[in-house]
Amino acid sequence: MKMTTWIRSGLLTVLGCAVGLGSAEARVKMVALPERAATVIRLDNPSATLIEEERVLTLQKGVNQVDFSWNGVSIDPDSIRLKVLNHPDQVTLLNVSYPPNEAALVWEISSAEPVEERVRISYLLANIDRLITYRFLANKPETQVDFKSYLVLRNFSGEDFGTSRVQLDYGEAFEQAIGHEETKQLLFLDAGKVPITKVWEFDANQLPWDPEKVEGNVGIPVSYQIENKEASGLGKNALWGGKVRVFQDDGHGSTIVLGEDSAALVPVGEKMKVNIGDSRDIKVVQRKMKEERINLRKNVNDQVVLYDTDEIIKTTLENFKDSPAVLTVIEYIPGQWDMVECNLKYEKKNSEKIEFQVALNPKEKKELMMHYQRRNLR
Amino acid sequence: MKKLLLTFWVMSFLVPVSGWAKMDLVTLPKRDGVQVTIYNSADLTLVRETRELTLQKGINRLQFSWANTLIDPTSLEMLPKAQADKLVIEDLTYPPRTQNLGVWTIKSQVSGKVPVEITYLTSGLDWRAFYMGTLSGDEKTMKLEGYVRVGNRSGEDYEDAQVRLIVGKVHMLDQIAELAQRQYPYGRPDVYPTSAAAPMVMDEMKEMRAPRAAMKMAMASYGGSAPKAIIKEGLSEYFLYTIEGQETVANGWAKRLPSLGPYAVPVVNLYKYEQERYGKSVVRFLSFKNDEAHKLGQTPIPGGMLRVCRTVNEAGYLSYEGQSDFKYIPVNEKVELNLGTVQNVVVEPTLMDYKIENHTFDNNRNVSGWDEVRTFKMEVKNTRPVAVTVEIQRNFPGQKWDLKSEGDCGKYEKVDFDTVKYTLELPPRSVKEFTYTLRTYQGKRVEAAKSN
Repeated sequence: MKMTTWIRSGLLTVLGCAVGLGSAEARVKMVALPERAATVIRLDNPSATLIEEERVLTLQKGVNQVDFSWNGVSIDPDSIRLKVLNHPDQVTLLNVSYPPNEAALVWEISSAEPVEERVRISYLLANIDRLITYRFLANKPETQVDFKSYLVLRNFSGEDFGTSRVQLDYGEAFEQAIGHEETKQLLFLDAGKVPITKVWEFDANQLPWDPEKVEGNVGIPVSYQIENKEASGLGKNALWGGKVRVFQDDGHGSTIVLGEDSAALVPVGEKMKVNIGDSRDIKVVQRKMKEERINLRKNVNDQVVLYDTDEIIKTTLENFKDSPAVLTVIEYIPGQWDMVECNLKYEKKNSEKIEFQVALNPKEKKELMMHYQRRNLR
Repeated sequence: MKKLLLTFWVMSFLVPVSGWAKMDLVTLPKRDGVQVTIYNSADLTLVRETRELTLQKGINRLQFSWANTLIDPTSLEMLPKAQADKLVIEDLTYPPRTQNLGVWTIKSQVSGKVPVEITYLTSGLDWRAFYMGTLSGDEKTMKLEGYVRVGNRSGEDYEDAQVRLIVGKVHMLDQIAELAQRQYPYGRPDVYPTSAAAPMVMDEMKEMRAPRAAMKMAMASYGGSAPKAIIKEGLSEYFLYTIEGQETVANGWAKRLPSLGPYAVPVVNLYKYEQERYGKSVVRFLSFKNDEAHKLGQTPIPGGMLRVCRTVNEAGYLSYEGQSDFKYIPVNEKVELNLGTVQNVVVEPTLMDYKIENHTFDNNRNVSGWDEVRTFKMEVKNTRPVAVTVEIQRNFPGQKWDLKSEGDCGKYEKVDFDTVKYTLELPPRSVKEFTYTLRTYQGKRVEAAKSN
């Protein structure tokens, strides 16, 4: 904290008990300020940062007025708290006043004896926060990643923090200094080798059915899945959301970029899914081979009021790669329906969504045929 | 004029947060080696450089600056290549009121030289593939030659670099160029990231000129007698092309390098007619497969523009046949290269007969259903001196229909529930004719229709 910098620094001033609370101009602010004794920057809540700083006040017997101002610093005034640490039975906070037209407040503190009192001041400070980023390095066979997570501290609060204790929502606090307009990146979690599952996914509602009719390449989205569990070398805490960059060992002592994605918070036991890019070596072509109205039901005017449909979908799945792949195929059948025949096993995910896991050997082509009837359409 | 200065300063003592200006320059290690891995699906290049640092025991601070480049500061990473167990990289700080500058804090248990590897992502380098095809006189084979063109507008000269190219679609959240121009590397809390006051933009960078020395290197960096080989290998969902040896890619310059062939690829002259897709004209395609039978199939073929000429006489003069901007072709995939519309192969459908029949009536004796019967004559002409294959696709969307074909209609295929395809082989300068009769069911007659 810089004593002379009123504009950017939170400023604590101890006034003699004889000094009254007049207009802002008339108030006397002492320059002999108590230094911060200890500061904690609490970043456990992603939406607000709590600063807790300790200072030693020289109090006289009787009522003391302590002036705290924060010009150029965005502090939520309603969040400011003062806690007496050494002699809570002798030192009492009487009231808090806000001087007009100033980013400041004045504490009236009563002390039974002249005393050097340590107090803790807490407040929410804007424009200082943390981000989490991830950097994964996959091995060449894509079975595991070197899992690293970085903490990025950003301080644009207007306040320089000397060496302070930084506390996240889990783990030990650590010491760090960070100045105004400074950004720091620190290695936060190095989980070593973490197993991954590679997933290819064709979603019939998201991707074109006939890639040939689309300008440009149609790729099948590829993701890595990582389980936040102990067996994976993780599972101690939730993984915060943040940007993930994925690299791969190229087998020649170098790496390539596989892609990047934004991960959401992953609670313990859940999976992190990171989309790395598209595969152009797996091709899915889907065609409707039949759509026919059946079981027509008519009113007295011979008009069809209710019918079913008989539909056949043919999906060709082709793996041009030299390696096998398990392709997740997601299909949708709206409304009430019955599957008449299907040549591959599926799992019903909800009333209208079914999912296939199709294992494709290198260079293999498979066909998925779904014959279903949708019921009671009007 | 050196546009990018990557300076590397080593500090051997602890500097307080507010004391950046007091830094002393101890060494300025040069770049010992550099590798660039360039993507073409995104404006993205991974740069890996090795430098030898002189560290002292204790806390070392290393300053890295990248003014006038397009480096993404959030991508910076340093890894020791020796004595890694005796070095701890404690943090990377972007000091206040500075731009394009980062400072690593390294705790070292040793003194002396330590090789390190610095990686980062940059914008401004790119590559693209393009192809030249030369058809034989009989148009049964095509000499296929592929090239890559590597360009550098990054603001930095990459001298004697190992150049690698990535084929594939990488998923990115942000533009590297945008990240490179941010005033603060990770932005500010609750403030939408903005660019620096005077960012280096790509258009401005076009104006940059490579220095004479770099130009000479760029022109004459390779003294071999044969074109450089490109080593190709698959990695994850991508293909990695590594250009043999080293290249100098000076800022502002581009290089063309052979990447494929020449291969004599057997091709099929394929002509397609589909009114809904191509209009009334026939569109010419060259068809082949990326497999061994077609002298290919070792690696996927990156998408790019193919310009096709044909050898027109024994002296080897060429005629321009057309061009096709094609997509990525996986190994074993069949490809059809669209060369555009032609006049010398014609498909002419003519409605020869039209009938309405099988009316049905409701209780009020109003018409409730009927059949429409259309007979088309299809005339297919090949005016070319070479044999061709013609595919005719007909679409009957949203209707119930029956179809009967007569005459020389070639191979018939039902593509899906409302599309059919005829494939005909036509000898040089020949005409074929066939007819098809399409019955579509309307109103109540739909109930009587069989499935498509």
